[in-house]
Amino acid sequence: MYPQLTQIHALTLIRRNRLLPVPGDVNVRPGQKVNPKDVVAEASIPSRHYLVDVGRVLGAHTSGEAEKLITRKTGEILEKQDIIAETSGVFPRVIRTPGPGKVVSIHKGRVLIEAESEKITLLAGMAGRINQVIADRGVMIETHGALVQGVWGNRRIGCGPLVVDETSLDGELQSSTLGVTARGTVILAGMCTSLEMMNLAASLEVGGLILGSMASALIPEVQVLPFPVILLSGFGRMGLDVDSRRVLTTNAGRDLSINAMRWNRLTGDRPEIYIPLPTEAEPYKVESAYAVGQKVRVHSGVYAGRVGRIDQILPGLTQLPSGLRALAVKVKFDQRSGEVFPLVNLDVVQVID
Amino acid sequence: MVQDSTRVMSVLGLEIGSVNTHGFLFDVVEDNYRLIASAVAPSTHVEPVFDLGDAVFEVVTKLQEVTGRVFFGHDARLIMPSQAGGEGVDSFVITTSCAAGLNLVAFGLLNEVSLESVKRLADSTYANLAEIIGINDRRPKNIQLDAVLATRPDLIILSGGTDNGANRSLLRISELIANSLQILPRSNRPQVLYCGNTVLAEQIQHSLDRFTKVKVVQNIRPSLDQEILEPAMEELNTMILDKVYEKVGGLQRIAASCSIPPRLSNEAFHRVVRFLGRQYDPSKGVLGIDVGSSFTVASYSNGQSSSLNTFNYGMGEGISMLLDRTNIRDITRWLPEPMNDEEARDHLWQHSVYPQEIPATPGELSLELAMARQVLRLAMRDLAQLDALPSARFEPILISGAALNRTATPVQSLLTILDGIQPLGICPLILDKHGIMPILGAIAEFNPLLAVQVLESTAFTNLATVVNISSKVRRGEPVLSARLDYTDGHYTEVELKQGSIKSLPLATGATGRLRITMLRRSEIEEVNLTGEPIRVNGGVCGLVLDARGRPLKLPADDTTRREQIKGWELQLSTK
Repeated sequence: MYPQLTQIHALTLIRRNRLLPVPGDVNVRPGQKVNPKDVVAEASIPSRHYLVDVGRVLGAHTSGEAEKLITRKTGEILEKQDIIAETSGVFPRVIRTPGPGKVVSIHKGRVLIEAESEKITLLAGMAGRINQVIADRGVMIETHGALVQGVWGNRRIGCGPLVVDETSLDGELQSSTLGVTARGTVILAGMCTSLEMMNLAASLEVGGLILGSMASALIPEVQVLPFPVILLSGFGRMGLDVDSRRVLTTNAGRDLSINAMRWNRLTGDRPEIYIPLPTEAEPYKVESAYAVGQKVRVHSGVYAGRVGRIDQILPGLTQLPSGLRALAVKVKFDQRSGEVFPLVNLDVVQVID
Repeated sequence: MVQDSTRVMSVLGLEIGSVNTHGFLFDVVEDNYRLIASAVAPSTHVEPVFDLGDAVFEVVTKLQEVTGRVFFGHDARLIMPSQAGGEGVDSFVITTSCAAGLNLVAFGLLNEVSLESVKRLADSTYANLAEIIGINDRRPKNIQLDAVLATRPDLIILSGGTDNGANRSLLRISELIANSLQILPRSNRPQVLYCGNTVLAEQIQHSLDRFTKVKVVQNIRPSLDQEILEPAMEELNTMILDKVYEKVGGLQRIAASCSIPPRLSNEAFHRVVRFLGRQYDPSKGVLGIDVGSSFTVASYSNGQSSSLNTFNYGMGEGISMLLDRTNIRDITRWLPEPMNDEEARDHLWQHSVYPQEIPATPGELSLELAMARQVLRLAMRDLAQLDALPSARFEPILISGAALNRTATPVQSLLTILDGIQPLGICPLILDKHGIMPILGAIAEFNPLLAVQVLESTAFTNLATVVNISSKVRRGEPVLSARLDYTDGHYTEVELKQGSIKSLPLATGATGRLRITMLRRSEIEEVNLTGEPIRVNGGVCGLVLDARGRPLKLPADDTTRREQIKGWELQLSTK
């Protein structure tokens, strides 16, 4: 059984793909250095159109007749009021474009004009070097540095210097942490359960917020914030886990980037924090089984967010306090006696200090 | 007894879900097909493996260990057909529900006719109906076009017109589809399913197949008073499965070894319910609900008509959709112990992040079952709004889903189902404890005997036959007296009071004769009591008499309500 993994590394080689949802243009070359907010690729998706029925407007009896009246070709760029079609004769009647655009098709006497297209820009999401260009789709970026994976994000990308304020590390994000110097910085805090603090962070235009956990009641507001909010342990009051906290606090003051995407297990995309460092490192290896001594983090319940070590893998199925039976392990926190958890309620935390 | 005309076959079935992959081995035991063994492993099409092969290998290896039989050859391939020494299996079948995130756009003509049908067709699938456009849509054509493009459709359904009926309107709609397809990049163009006026099929196919692949099936509304969804449903599911192949790593490779192409779980689940609908009393109808992680599937059949609805809320990844439509109080009110709404909401959101998680403590189990009640309530409400249930009386109700199968006691499952569905009349409740309904539906395509014999076996749990009493009398007043006669001559008598629930002992497989005398202002809805005894079947929870009222009203006071909920469980647990 493969364990659910969370990567927390003080120094590793990080490689990440950044891909467009539709084919587009890649703006960078292999080897090029990029910053988190650099646009590495872009595509346009047509979003607003005019559909002009020439046959109906000019009274043509067949679509063939209508097409003969059309004076434009597919691909032509039109200005507002340009003539699209006209009848012949002494008093010709004309159809003009309702606005500027591009003729994308002429089909059965109807002219389809693309008036506007939505530009999709693909941001690098991390500082690093382009390792590979994936034609028409995107890039692979690599960097050496610290990596901390989260469990939820508000779908924003951001960057800035990391501010660590002891008053907010062990509990709620405090207003004292959000001073006037917070503008453009990334703030680290144990948790946030207050909409007031979120609004204060937004008014100060922080560069991002890294939280151990957050009240789920804040989701609607956090989803529309302009800066990234990443949760490292999840929803509730569990705060920061010890390993994430150590890696992040030791990098206080450094520039980091947050890619607060949603966790997509199908693609492996996950909310992450990257801190580029000037030292080279090897890529981390993915563990494929549970083992005694492994670090694990509890998902929920009284121990939610706590990191311990597997002390014993229990044989067969174990009856849990709920009455259910499951594959389980005994986990030790500090030096205390072990607690039993079902395997599926734990993340194996891969840590390289 | 296996008939001579049917070759005895062992079948390996895999049900691939978004969280877990279940494996089942069926074979003949003493002349009847039986479920021999089952195994489960986490699905591995997700990180860090991105290929289902590992989950399949783990599940089949577990089945080998449990049964002592060998299924893999030296080349690590499945041995098919089975060998003289008993190695291998004769057939291999897959069903899957890994289909989240697909967008459908539907086109039709009139709201009450083709659009209604096309909506029912779309509602039956795992996809999300993102946009629906008919001829009475008042938006200008260019706005309709932009709306279609904004959904980034994965599939388009075009319906409309009775056979030999309207054609100009339908052709105009198909032009709009052609315009949309022209604009989309070739690699992102959705396939089109045409299920409208048969006379126009060739013309529409010809006009659209320049842009994309067009599949043509029988008209879903051949006449105004006739609706035939099945052929379109089958083709639509095949098209969805093609999309699933693109997203689920390894599925296509494994599917190549299957005896029949993989089936979507909801379609296969519905096949079983339809089969049962033909066997039971058509005045009642069979209701099947499968509560999954991402989706909730509701299937109904009474022999003459059937419906399949797939709702995009569930107990794992589907929690966010559930919470979008639910006041958290509708979940926490079912908890037997205090838990504040914030804590409950945080826990449920956390569970949506980790859908594979299981309840470790009694409190977590209570919250999961409270959520299951709300999923069932919402599904019943949606079915009523969609007019999908001709009757509120079912025989039987079949329930599937991990949350309801893994309870600590059968009483917990029973109460969750009763509180969620709140059935009327007299109905048997059956639990698909292994989650084999979809696999049986798929196997039934080539071995119906296996499906029938396993359905009649102990692979399913008869929870109870439940008698649901409605009454207008005050709480605590008697509503019914009953006498249950056992086949051995013994009997038991009971008087039931308004607001209570009681279980009479009647073991699984046993039958009894129930005489009911209704007291003041009480009735069993849709049941005509003639005075003759009613034959009832037993279950693990016996025969249950439920006089808690319909709709079930919970006390407003928190303490009283919690005591009440604990009391009901205690009443059923004490026989």
